[in-house]
Amino acid sequence: MKIQIELFGASRDFSDQNFLEFDLENNSTIKDIRNKIVEYLDKNFRGNENFKKIVNSSAFCSENNNIISDNYKITSDEKIAIIPPIGGG
Amino acid sequence: MLHTKVIDIKEKKLSILEAENFISSSEFGASIFFSGTVRNQNDNKSVLGITYDSHDALVIKSFEEIYNEADQKLNIKNKAVFIEHAKGYLNLGEVSIIIAVACKHRDEAYILSRYIIEEIKKRSPIWKKEHYQNNDSTWLKGNPIINEKN
Repeated sequence: MKIQIELFGASRDFSDQNFLEFDLENNSTIKDIRNKIVEYLDKNFRGNENFKKIVNSSAFCSENNNIISDNYKITSDEKIAIIPPIGGG
Repeated sequence: MLHTKVIDIKEKKLSILEAENFISSSEFGASIFFSGTVRNQNDNKSVLGITYDSHDALVIKSFEEIYNEADQKLNIKNKAVFIEHAKGYLNLGEVSIIIAVACKHRDEAYILSRYIIEEIKKRSPIWKKEHYQNNDSTWLKGNPIINEKN
């Protein structure tokens, strides 16, 4: 299944687009997404450690705007957002 | 009574006057206006401006949660609250956030205003990218949103 990850904050530096797209197996979880993004960074940014830290300290948000845990099962074509550490105001 | 909005700065600037109009009522004897502005220095670096990024839906949800918590945690039931946050590129001195609160008495107005800004800093998915000279810029390190990793 195809999953789109919307990028926010520091994770916007991961791509010129506003999202990343991955092919994942059915019943994949947020943990799998984290691993996929790290693989992508290894491949495209020579394993940039700062970028990987961002991924590992990020939360993820479901299409219906809930923060979801690492074992959340993603449904087909669901749009997920990555939520890096925050600091507005 | 609550008003919340994320404002795209390309379309409109934040307005204290709008905040004042919203919270104004003869029910309330105390009003506090807080505004955050872009300052010219951070961590010994000269800052030229800040780009704010926002997950709008989650930000609004967090504002509503913070407002509702004030009922239970602070026991401030009768209140008017106006919260707007900017997104996009802001120059020095421009307003990034307005929090206006009105309550019956000053004690609760001060407490509520402080509570809202501190909780927003901790919980609302807003990000800042500082811009410096020579086209240099960096996303500021923030606080992770609590998530379960098991």
